[in-house]
Amino acid sequence: MTAATPMEMRDRRFGWMLTAPGLALLAAVVLFPILWAGTTSFFDYTLIMPGYDNFAGFGNYAKAAGDGEFLHAAWITVLFVLAVVSIQFAIGLLVALMLNDTERGKGVYYLILLCPLLINPVVVGLMWRMILHPTLGIVNWLLSTVGIEPVNWLGAPDMAFWTVVLVDIWHQVSFMVVLLLAGLSSLPAEPYEAARVDGASALQRFWHITLPMMKPVIAITLLIRMIFAIKTYDIIYIMTRGGPGTATDLISYFIYRRAFVSLDLGEACAMAAMLLIVIAGMTALLWRTMRTAQDD
Amino acid sequence: MKRILLASLSGLALAAAAQAEEVNILMEAVPDTTYIQQLLPEFEEETGIKVNLEVVNYAEMHTKLVPQLVARSGSYSAIVVDFYWVGEFYKAGWMQPLDDRIEADGFDTSVYVPAMMDLVGQVEGTTYMLPFYNYAMGLLYRTDLLEDEANKAAYLEATGSELKAPETWDEYLRQVAFFTKDGQYGVVNQGLRPDPIAMEWSNYLFASGGSFMDEGWHATFNSPEGVAALETYIKNLNDYGPVGAASFSFDEAFNVFSQGQAYSYITYNFFRAAVDDPSSSAVVGKAEIMGVPGQTPEEGGSLNGAWGWAIPKSSPNPDAAWKFLQWVESPEIAKKRALLGGSPTRLDVFDDEEVIAKYPQTVALKELLLGSHNFPTFTYTPQFVEVLGRELSLAVAGEKTAQEALDTAAAEFDEMAAKDGRQK
Amino acid sequence: MASIELNSVSRIYGSGASAVHAVKGIDLKIEDGEFMIFLGPSGCGKSTTLRMIAGLEPVSGGDLLIDGARVNDVDPAERDLAIVFQNYALYPHMTVRANMAFGLKLRGLPRSEIDTRIADVARVLSVEPLLNRRPAQLSGGQRQRVALGRALVREPRAFLLDEPLSNLDAKLRSVMRTELVKLHRKLGTTMVHVTHDQVEAMTMGTRICIMRGGEIVQVGRPQEVYRNPADTFVAGFLATPPMNLFPGRLEARGDSLVLVAEGAEIPVPAATAPGWGGHAGREVIIGLRPEHLAEAPEGPAPAALQLSVETVEALGPETILNLRLGRNGPEIAARLPADGDWEAGQPVTLHADTARLHLFDPATTRSIPRGAAHAL
Repeated sequence: MTAATPMEMRDRRFGWMLTAPGLALLAAVVLFPILWAGTTSFFDYTLIMPGYDNFAGFGNYAKAAGDGEFLHAAWITVLFVLAVVSIQFAIGLLVALMLNDTERGKGVYYLILLCPLLINPVVVGLMWRMILHPTLGIVNWLLSTVGIEPVNWLGAPDMAFWTVVLVDIWHQVSFMVVLLLAGLSSLPAEPYEAARVDGASALQRFWHITLPMMKPVIAITLLIRMIFAIKTYDIIYIMTRGGPGTATDLISYFIYRRAFVSLDLGEACAMAAMLLIVIAGMTALLWRTMRTAQDD
Repeated sequence: MKRILLASLSGLALAAAAQAEEVNILMEAVPDTTYIQQLLPEFEEETGIKVNLEVVNYAEMHTKLVPQLVARSGSYSAIVVDFYWVGEFYKAGWMQPLDDRIEADGFDTSVYVPAMMDLVGQVEGTTYMLPFYNYAMGLLYRTDLLEDEANKAAYLEATGSELKAPETWDEYLRQVAFFTKDGQYGVVNQGLRPDPIAMEWSNYLFASGGSFMDEGWHATFNSPEGVAALETYIKNLNDYGPVGAASFSFDEAFNVFSQGQAYSYITYNFFRAAVDDPSSSAVVGKAEIMGVPGQTPEEGGSLNGAWGWAIPKSSPNPDAAWKFLQWVESPEIAKKRALLGGSPTRLDVFDDEEVIAKYPQTVALKELLLGSHNFPTFTYTPQFVEVLGRELSLAVAGEKTAQEALDTAAAEFDEMAAKDGRQK
Repeated sequence: MASIELNSVSRIYGSGASAVHAVKGIDLKIEDGEFMIFLGPSGCGKSTTLRMIAGLEPVSGGDLLIDGARVNDVDPAERDLAIVFQNYALYPHMTVRANMAFGLKLRGLPRSEIDTRIADVARVLSVEPLLNRRPAQLSGGQRQRVALGRALVREPRAFLLDEPLSNLDAKLRSVMRTELVKLHRKLGTTMVHVTHDQVEAMTMGTRICIMRGGEIVQVGRPQEVYRNPADTFVAGFLATPPMNLFPGRLEARGDSLVLVAEGAEIPVPAATAPGWGGHAGREVIIGLRPEHLAEAPEGPAPAALQLSVETVEALGPETILNLRLGRNGPEIAARLPADGDWEAGQPVTLHADTARLHLFDPATTRSIPRGAAHAL
């Protein structure tokens, strides 16, 4: 490397000057809260007695790890994320594939599909609570017209879990569709023609051409959706409050309550930190699998 | 030193406020808030102080309040405090004592229903709040069904007794079973966790002769009475109520009742007014409210509940806030609020002839309030509601027995009470 | 090994008034083992025709036959043809080896057979060191070879090449031209090659099929098409610079014919063109290739033309002169040896080889044949 000329130095300094406000803002907005939460997680910090007087070490972490309710919420969250992301991915990919082949009226389909995504999750929750009301809701009424007994959508533990899953799918599936469709429509057409001449059936083209070429898009989509799913909070708050029993007690709602109902910020921060570590680990893992899978 | 600093700070804030003379209050979107909104012009004309009510949903209130209360100088001049935040706010020292102001201005607090003052007035002998409105729970029941001759005959045949408004808890439960027929439910419950189920079940606990704790703050609600109350609750919800009640919040449960699908519903007394609102009710004039009946006709089983006015330590202009509190809780305005449909906390309003003439149920509501029981209020009330709601919901979902669920909740209650230094 | 036959094959996009006729009912028979070139400007329908043969475009009308069997509705996979695309269309996520193996795997060939074929083809195309790389790690020329290799390993009945050389630089293009010709000679498989480059057309194919506006203008061996362009379009399309075309009049003067154009009179001995006699007295388009102008008289019936030099393009081995015929005549090009020394504005006398003159009917643009006596 040769020494920088005065002009290069000026350029570099100017570059720093331009980026400094942005970096500072980023540090203030992103880094500071994370560091604050990280620090708080090591203290006996409650909103009633705010202060860093009692250092707790890993006490908050140990307490959280030994809290059966917390572990249960974590487990429910794992199930929820798996169910939501996998079903949304399957539906999303199917719809995206169909839309990708559509030539006319794509804009209209887009608009219709995007509608749920544009609705505030609180409204989504309220809307579905009304629609699924066991005695006054339209769904059970429709079912009754064909002789099906009223379904206890939110009142029975197993059913409530799947109801929340379904509502989340309804709400968020278009996110998958939009991202996957963007990926599909940016794929080059030539490999498909080559594959057709090479003798690949539609299914074989999907398996050997579409899926591998979509891998990076799929990885990003799954990752973003997974992180969003882990953070699911509004729908639970509106629709079930984690009930019946603890059937839908997702971890974000759990941590929220620990912070704002129990006012135990120290422990809530410890839980959030554990969640952050898990998410970061999952991100790294998924990233690596996707990259190695591509090298087959 | 710190105090001087605080004082000078609030002095500064006061000086700033003196120019603007504005009072900011965070309030919940409920009928009693709208009545105040209607009366506010009177206050503004009288004092020249502008009052800004920030009206939000209950769910947002606590989260919005806490940061302002923790701050040295918050944005709220006065606040409203739900009874189950009282312990927490007191412990954190977020409210200003009002006794000096009460004494100086000769404000009469003896007119309040004593249970109200206990709940949202005084803590440990110091007055921090003025009771705002009560939301004690009562039993909404269908008078038209009770008066129906066919029902009367059938009930007499089935039970050997006369069909009338229930005087005891057992009589009520027999009616619940009796009215569950022909696509109609005997009762609709609000089984959503945490507060709807916890609050509703508290009535069952009191009505069954149980209590939350003894004098020394040791849990007693896992007693045989408590277990019986929970088993009754589960039976009502599963056998005599609509499908899905385990996930109902109060609005959904009220819908079922107001559509005429259920005989009874234990709920907040402010729903009594909504029963007679033709835009939201199909049972106008066909339902009445009463205290939840207890073990004997003399005992009540209702759960008390109320909101209180307070001035936070972080208030930027406590003097203006106090002016507002004095006005809003004055006999004239309290009466005007009641006439608009508000839920009183003052005995003089309960006994006011004009109010009774307009709302005959006021008499029953006073009875209800006098016979009601308080929920344990301490630092960890919200957390306890959370735990109780969770355990009750687990029992309703059939994942725990009533005894197991209550034992777990009781153990956690004892732990919290001990941590709060309450247990003796 | 396959022959390919097109009987009034057409391709229509859309329908009704907005329908676009991309290919308008063409007839062509490509013999087994032929190297057929589809030549034409872009939009002439040559690629569409190729894609119809491949099965990537449906046939709107007519019959497409491979080895005598109608394949209009046969899936591309079943046609057993291989195609090399302009952009190579390699599978970006597969290694070179996997790219080549893909079609064979789908056809269920045994692993050992696949390996042998890939090894053979890789050797022929010298891509052995690239087998484990991905397309993104290859240069344009390497990708081209891999695309070709992917077609070769298939051992198909025919190869379809859709402008495969157009993305290569000039040097590589000429190398690949030769290699493709050699390959064809070695394999003897039918090849159909689409191009807009007349050099490729002239040098590679056994026959050229020139297309324009969805129709076939002329089909023939390269030299045949070069010598006897069917119309002014073909005349103006093949070779660079193309044939000079300018308006004139054919007049009979005794037993001689004279072409009268602005700035020149060109006598043509009637005996060399008996077919033209009947056209005496008519307006014609005169066609004269730049290479048939020389400083010294050439051929049996040269004619001197008085020209002035407009611009000089010295290309090294030869020089292209752009000249003005007479004082105000048409501008024409001449291809001359490089040893001359010309300057712009300089008057010059060049001799046209009238035995190689072409005449075209201005109304139809078709060639007016010289007639049977034309023998050179």
